[in-house]
Amino acid sequence: MSEIENKTEHGSMDGATAGTAGDPKNDTGLGLGVIFFIVAFLICFLSGWLLFPKLLYSKHEQPFNFDHVLHVEETGDCESCHYLREDGTFSGIPKTESCLDCHTDEPMGDTKDEAIFAAEYVAKEQEVPWYVYARQPDCVFFSHAAHINAAGMDCKSCHGPIEETRTSRHYEENRLTGYSRDIWGKNIWGIKKNPWDRMKMNDCAVCHEKETGHKGYCFQCHK
Amino acid sequence: MIHDKKAHKYGMVIDLDKCTGCGTCAVSCMSENNVPFKEDESDKKDSITWMRVYRLTNNKPFPDTEVAFLPRPCQHCGGKGDHGHSPCVSVCPATATDYGYDTGIVSQIYTRCFGCRYCMAACPYHARYFNWWDPVWPEGMEKYLSPNVSPRMRGVVEKCSFCYHRYQLAREKAYASGSDEIPEADYQTACTTACPAGAIVFGDLNNPSHKVHQIVKPDPHPDPLNPDVVGKSRNPKVFRLLERLGTNPKVYYMSEREWVRKLGDHYLDGEWDKVKNVYGSASHE
Amino acid sequence: MKVDRRSFLGLGIGAVAGIAISPVGAKLTDDFSIWTQNWPWTPVPPDGEVSYDRTVCHLCPGACGISVRKIDGRPVKIEGLDPYPVNNGGVCLHGIAGLQYLYDPSRVKSPMKKVNNRFVPISWDDAFTMVAARLGELRNDQNPETLACISGSDQGSVPGLFKHFMAAFGSPNYLTMPDLESWLIRTAKTLHGDAYTLGFDIDHSDFILSFGAGLIDGWGSPVACIQAMGTRRQRESTLVQIEPRLSNTAASADRWIPINPGTEADLAMGMCAVLLKENLFDPGFAQGFSGGFMRFTAMVQKEYPLDKVAGITGISASDIQKTAVAFAKAKMPVALPGKGRGEGAQNLKEFAAIHTLNCLSGNVNKQGGTFVKPLPKYLNFPDPVQDTVALKGAGSAPLAGSVQELVTRIDKSGESPVKALLVYNANPCFALNDPSRIRAAFEKIPFKVCVTSFMDETAMASDVILPVSTFMERMEDVPSKAGLAATVVGLSKPMVKPVFNTRSPGDVVIGIARALGGDMAKSFAWNSYDACLEQVTARIWGPLVRKGHVVLSKNLPAGSVKTDFGFLAENPETVKPAGALEFTLIPIDNFRVPPTVPAPSPFAIKIVSDRILKGTDMFVEINPQSAKNLKDGGFATLTTPAGSVPVRVHFNDGIMPGVIGMVKGLGHTLDNRYVSGKGVNVNTLISPKIEPDSGMDAAFCIKAGISKA
Repeated sequence: MSEIENKTEHGSMDGATAGTAGDPKNDTGLGLGVIFFIVAFLICFLSGWLLFPKLLYSKHEQPFNFDHVLHVEETGDCESCHYLREDGTFSGIPKTESCLDCHTDEPMGDTKDEAIFAAEYVAKEQEVPWYVYARQPDCVFFSHAAHINAAGMDCKSCHGPIEETRTSRHYEENRLTGYSRDIWGKNIWGIKKNPWDRMKMNDCAVCHEKETGHKGYCFQCHK
Repeated sequence: MIHDKKAHKYGMVIDLDKCTGCGTCAVSCMSENNVPFKEDESDKKDSITWMRVYRLTNNKPFPDTEVAFLPRPCQHCGGKGDHGHSPCVSVCPATATDYGYDTGIVSQIYTRCFGCRYCMAACPYHARYFNWWDPVWPEGMEKYLSPNVSPRMRGVVEKCSFCYHRYQLAREKAYASGSDEIPEADYQTACTTACPAGAIVFGDLNNPSHKVHQIVKPDPHPDPLNPDVVGKSRNPKVFRLLERLGTNPKVYYMSEREWVRKLGDHYLDGEWDKVKNVYGSASHE
Repeated sequence: MKVDRRSFLGLGIGAVAGIAISPVGAKLTDDFSIWTQNWPWTPVPPDGEVSYDRTVCHLCPGACGISVRKIDGRPVKIEGLDPYPVNNGGVCLHGIAGLQYLYDPSRVKSPMKKVNNRFVPISWDDAFTMVAARLGELRNDQNPETLACISGSDQGSVPGLFKHFMAAFGSPNYLTMPDLESWLIRTAKTLHGDAYTLGFDIDHSDFILSFGAGLIDGWGSPVACIQAMGTRRQRESTLVQIEPRLSNTAASADRWIPINPGTEADLAMGMCAVLLKENLFDPGFAQGFSGGFMRFTAMVQKEYPLDKVAGITGISASDIQKTAVAFAKAKMPVALPGKGRGEGAQNLKEFAAIHTLNCLSGNVNKQGGTFVKPLPKYLNFPDPVQDTVALKGAGSAPLAGSVQELVTRIDKSGESPVKALLVYNANPCFALNDPSRIRAAFEKIPFKVCVTSFMDETAMASDVILPVSTFMERMEDVPSKAGLAATVVGLSKPMVKPVFNTRSPGDVVIGIARALGGDMAKSFAWNSYDACLEQVTARIWGPLVRKGHVVLSKNLPAGSVKTDFGFLAENPETVKPAGALEFTLIPIDNFRVPPTVPAPSPFAIKIVSDRILKGTDMFVEINPQSAKNLKDGGFATLTTPAGSVPVRVHFNDGIMPGVIGMVKGLGHTLDNRYVSGKGVNVNTLISPKIEPDSGMDAAFCIKAGISKA
């Protein structure tokens, strides 16, 4: 018998005699074990479902609050600011220069946010470093033109009622992948109530299969 | 959307009598597709060049030597019978490469690829390249990278995509203008537009109004001698690489010179004489 | 109750079970795999609005129009501009790689001065003050002519400003590098008189007799030439290529005639003799012949009989005869001089003899022929303000007719006759034969200023470097040259703000002149180069800005030209390769390797064949018939009278036996690891040999030996 086996045997013997758990008359050890199990299970289970999603994403404040309601009232629609360019590409979030069609470096209203915009970005000729909730990974090619023009969809059907928002919510970034929570799934249960709750590849495929009868080939959406 | 329209079959014909071997196609491709470079690129096995220009020679001694150049992009094989089972697509365990039945273009999705390199082993044309290293651009040079093509990372395979991003952009343009058709001029690969000799012609092989169709005159019927071969050219000057394998490449080559055409495949003694004058299927002559 | 091991076991199992049926595992696995697909250090190029901007490339004499694709103003791709009268949508690999030059690791990022053999950055003001102080001394000492200037080319407003500077300063010593245009101007001067250049209408010619001109290997305006070759077969135009090696041009020609290296002049003279003897020259055009036509006729008949020429050139007498007759009988023949790219060491006798064939054919100033064009005169510089010092200096005799001749002068004098040197857009310490000799001469010059974008070999040998913006960052007029039939002036515009602390070369000249003060400053009254450009190009400025280019002459040059045979009638001696070794080493112009300024881009080096460069090893081509014990791919030592280098051997059936070919333009030693230290600079193996009549280095090739290493 090797020395190691010796020690092991001896060690376990020690444990059996010194501890109470081995005592058949006193079973509280097992009971405590069960309690420990339940407590640990509950803590881990609940933190897995409740705390973990909070830890997984870091929150970022937008540079300043943006009131979509106010702007839609002024402009009347989404396309005034977020439009398809002549070549069919999507303009995305407007550049400061486009804002200057209406704004100047003198605020028009009296909100704190507009003051920040005027002072920090218009006056300094800087672009606003917005966090984009719906930005896809670099490997994705998404054609707004195909969805708007060819499929006749409106903005709302994917992005939700953004025109009704008065405040810019936090941008949540996945600490591992660096992507927006809007892409990666808001709900940790995987429940998707609205199209804008999650925009992973499979979400595209499900809709494409339903609408066009085919998931599409890789290059349809990848670059 | 995909199946209710007539499928395209994008392809290319390269005039080897016009090709000067200048290498502009290769550089245009690298610049268009964010292909990286490293300190030593003289080991051509690991030098990523989606478009590679091979030098061909007739192997005759001085002074009867002749030289020609053969640019080789991905051949975008249709596979046996042109059913989309390209050699690489068939072996990919990750579905990182697929055959686009709407365009005939073989894709490569870098984020999906895990680098097993089966496709490289399967490709008879050495058109696929592996990223042994992460791409590194000298300080500041990453500013010239194009947003239309995703830069690759270490450990994945890449290859020519027929500048698919240009197809994507052309399609967006068509959608924006409310048209279903993509005009021939709107979708041209970077090598085609760059070639100073005008040796490369690109377009839809299925579209009789496209120049590439008019030059190649692809035979819609399978080759009676080899039913795996579809789309054989009915132009006596046009050939494909390793055509008899039945990979059905969509890249065609053209040359007046017989020795150049003969180099498109390996022929046993006497074989060339049997095939050299067979263009397209006899039934369709 | 006691906490025991089993409780802990319960705790552990509970935790594991709790985690296991929570989303943690699945979610982390998913996120982890996604993280591995898009490493955070892989660059993500920012997207934005696409725009196209047009400009003109001036990396080489080609002067192609280019279209720059930008994303939110950031250039991402260079393409050919269509339409553009030079290149009509075509482009070459070097132009496309123009974006790499913007961010090239060897860019000079700010003005530098050499302190203890190391460069330290200085401010522009300090640089101008320092240069002006050193140059000012020369004028104070009444020796302005001891300033010399070497420029890459002679045309356009920037070289114009340098010449203006030299005139105001008081020095006649303005020299240009031997580019194709300089050879063509020299040839035209010899045969037709001052201020002419030659253009070749290869787009329309039906018979091109090329004496080694690499029409698809970078000769002339490369894209224009390649395009003309691309349509050649459709036009049923014949190309006969005469050179010792099956170049790409020869490979695409209808006929390749191998010739002993360096004997092209003799062949052209022999062909002249055939045309004259068989009365195949154009009598109408001959009316413009003057200056020794009869003497020339008698001389070539006597000195260049077919058999003798056949012996010299290695081409059979019947081939010479047949080719000459085919040339003369073609409707629109054109004979092209300039081996390879047509630059560097060539010789005037050869250029003159080949152009004489054009003159005899009579296809001059006719469609599909050779155009004897007046030099473009669209620039109007005001007269420089010259003080007495400048007048005296500018009136003195020039020190030399070429850079190599100047180097010889410096070499032979104890103290350098040149006290200060300005170098602009030229890399003589790399691009000319025997660069070590040139560097040694530079050592003797007390003060050297290099106006360049890159830390190249010449910049490293200088005392002050004034960094200039690349063609993507500056405004400049770009006249077409290099044998193009049409004369087009393009306007190159800044596509992007200067990436580094660089200025336009015009602003550099103006800055130095202003720092010199006095009458020098008066000659440079412009606020900036852009203002100067607008003034000196006033005649065409409007359309130049509006259209981006102006076609100065498209039609045939008007009027007849006189042709003077005086030079050739004297039968100048052919410069023979130096040495007595068994082989002849010839430089090969490979289109993928630019031989002069700038050095190759990383993309260009990337596509160089592994039978030219492998690792850092340089290959030389040799015909297997004359390879003896050498092995294909094996190592060898190549020796010439100028030096000896280790090489590897590449068997090429397409090179004449007895000839060794080595690609030109490799072996840089600049600060760019993608380009530097690769291969051997073939110029280090060739010693210059000055042609007496032109003062130019005419050592195209040299005798060499090769042995197994």
